Amino acid sequence: MSVVVTGLGTIGPWGTGADALAVALRDGRPCARGVDRAAGYHRRGSARASALVPPEALAAAVPPALGRRMSPCSKLAVGATRLALRDAGLPDRPAEGVTAVALATNFGPSSCTEELLRQILDEGPEAASPFAFTECVANAPAGQIAIFTGARGPNATVMQREAGALLAVARGAAEIRAGRADRALVGSVDEVTPLTHAILDRFRALSRSDVARPFDRRRDGFLVSEGAAVLVLEREEDARARGARVRARIGPLARAFDAGAPPHGWGTGSDALAGALRERVGPAPLDRVVSGASGARAGDRLQARVLRAAFPDLAPVLAPKGVTGEFGGGFLAAAVLAAEGAPFGPTAGFAEPDPGLGLVPHDGRPLPPPGRVLVSALASGGAAAWLVLERP
Amino acid sequence: MRVFVTGIGAVSAMGAGVEALRRGLWEGRAGFCELTVFDPARHRTKLAGEVEKWCLAPFSRRLSRSDRFACAVAAEAVARAAFDPPPETAVFFGSSTGGMLESERFFNNLRSGRRASLGSVASQENHGPGDAVARRLRTRGPVETIASACSASAMALAAALDCLRSGEAEVAIAGGADALCQLTYAGFNALRAVDEAPCRPFRADRAGLSIGEGAAALVLETEDHLRARGLLRADRRVELAGAGATCDAHHMTAPDPDGTGAAAAIERALADAGIGPDEIDFVNAHGTGTPLNDAAEAAALRRVFGARAAQLPVTSTKGAVGHLLGACGALEAVVTVLCLEAESVHPTPGGGRPDPALGLDVVLGAPRPVPGHRCALSTNFAFGGANAALVFRRHA
Repeated sequence: MSVVVTGLGTIGPWGTGADALAVALRDGRPCARGVDRAAGYHRRGSARASALVPPEALAAAVPPALGRRMSPCSKLAVGATRLALRDAGLPDRPAEGVTAVALATNFGPSSCTEELLRQILDEGPEAASPFAFTECVANAPAGQIAIFTGARGPNATVMQREAGALLAVARGAAEIRAGRADRALVGSVDEVTPLTHAILDRFRALSRSDVARPFDRRRDGFLVSEGAAVLVLEREEDARARGARVRARIGPLARAFDAGAPPHGWGTGSDALAGALRERVGPAPLDRVVSGASGARAGDRLQARVLRAAFPDLAPVLAPKGVTGEFGGGFLAAAVLAAEGAPFGPTAGFAEPDPGLGLVPHDGRPLPPPGRVLVSALASGGAAAWLVLERP
Repeated sequence: MRVFVTGIGAVSAMGAGVEALRRGLWEGRAGFCELTVFDPARHRTKLAGEVEKWCLAPFSRRLSRSDRFACAVAAEAVARAAFDPPPETAVFFGSSTGGMLESERFFNNLRSGRRASLGSVASQENHGPGDAVARRLRTRGPVETIASACSASAMALAAALDCLRSGEAEVAIAGGADALCQLTYAGFNALRAVDEAPCRPFRADRAGLSIGEGAAALVLETEDHLRARGLLRADRRVELAGAGATCDAHHMTAPDPDGTGAAAAIERALADAGIGPDEIDFVNAHGTGTPLNDAAEAAALRRVFGARAAQLPVTSTKGAVGHLLGACGALEAVVTVLCLEAESVHPTPGGGRPDPALGLDVVLGAPRPVPGHRCALSTNFAFGGANAALVFRRHA
């Protein structure tokens, strides 16, 4: 059974809506801004930049009466869901059919977690707020989406770092294919707090030059991002029957694990990963690769090695995380736009090829319309997911 | 393609290993004591189903407590399956707080100006346990972590079932792990959802849940893989026959009092297993012991089983080891397998008479022999309204 993307909603540092992201990608414009370091969690010399959602965009994500019981993470998730449903030509609460939800997150509603911990550790456990607790659980945003849209199908929250978003898309598509849902709201959401930013910096994960440089020789870490992307998935026949615009078709999924990866980084063994990728994605030619390269030194090296080992004749490689940053759904939304043939400008952050990689990302030249696009996500810690998006 | 359970592992308040769990459950013991993982002095309640220290000894202190639980149960499950898992083995785990305990220590040190060691926060995220298992077993198949709170590991089992049925892998290790932490403990207390005494699921005077910790894992194998190992014909094998999931879409913490969503998850699991409600012989309930959850769950069971709900043996493992949150679905799946193998349902500890308003046949006091029983249901319900149900079937 064919499952297609009929709606795309996104809120992020690039603004509100898929069109705003498309403009940022076309212009190759990074969305970094300075993170608030007043809380004192940061060390001297730490990274300063993060890709943060403008406060006015967060405030506008959901109506105030709806948002008063939501963490920023839930607001972003529900806000992106509203945009996705509108994009798909569906009401906020589709009257017919069963809706599944599959949402990825890396940090969850971290501002609520931090608030609750501060209450417990500073004021004592008796000061713990019930609101902060119920909203800090990782699956709160997926639960809020279900309550807002009346989605009574399977409701899953996936946490698998950089691979989570693709796993969530695949999970939603599987629910439809198995007949357990008529449509699925799938995607990825994250909020970034000064604390999470400071911790990532202590792990030396973030770029201390404050620029994400995918595949560049001088890359020194990623730019952590917040935001949300939600896709509406449905059966292709349903979408055609109601005359919906089909943005992309969900193709094969490949999953694998690199047991050689350290818990907080990437391994170097690319052969097994490339084997799994080739086996599952099949021999049909690819016209684009949307790579999860983020500017992480080891992560980008593994991305390049796996892609080169799997495909001797590699299609043009887009690396949108120079624009979107890492996490927060921007990568997933960019992948859908790439599958539709949206123009991508020169890879943001990339200037000097890394001779060790043997891979130079897209330089902004016009590309022929895509047919089959590979989306590649390698998570730190070892998990890997690849998804093919096809042009309908 | 049928999928069988060929290995089980557990760590809980009853101690390390499935055997310790089995003994405790069938003796009708409850494993609650004053917790020691952190100082409970200022918490509203003091009890927990805590895992004793020695259970974690063999595993590196560089792993979080949850990760060590996960490695322990995966090792036991694989040992019981009596084989080296093939490299393509998939790992599906559930967790609700991952390494939160260690993160709390880190955060406390960071804020009070003490040295905050990054090692202590190294596996904070919920995928820590699943990744640790895959890394330890050196697998290269799919790895995915479900973080849907109290339904997380039941949903991880359902995801593993999908993966094996689709042919993506032939063997999967599915489970869940969660350790005690102040965040969860204070949080449930803030909701006034914790009983000051050991929890009393399905009792008339029940007053809340008891928080536990631990992990459980199941080795799942396809029929073909078992046949290739020459083991398919072995007696009394338990099949993971079906799974179902739904969402209440009702409220973030309170269950839908009608049990509609929960009932729909059970019905989906039954349909997935290809059986009718009459074929279920007993239920391992979510059974947290909160007034609302037990009532909603009973409503769901009455909705699915009708008048038969009053004769269907129901037990709550949480009455013995507490609520293992992201790990409860896997632990209760392990216990359901034990019940099917033993043809006996363990009793639900906790004093007091059963709540007559629930209309359920709760197994109390002593184990209930259920000779010849074949099919069992295990249910889990979570914050955010996420419901999950699993059906297990023993083959003769």
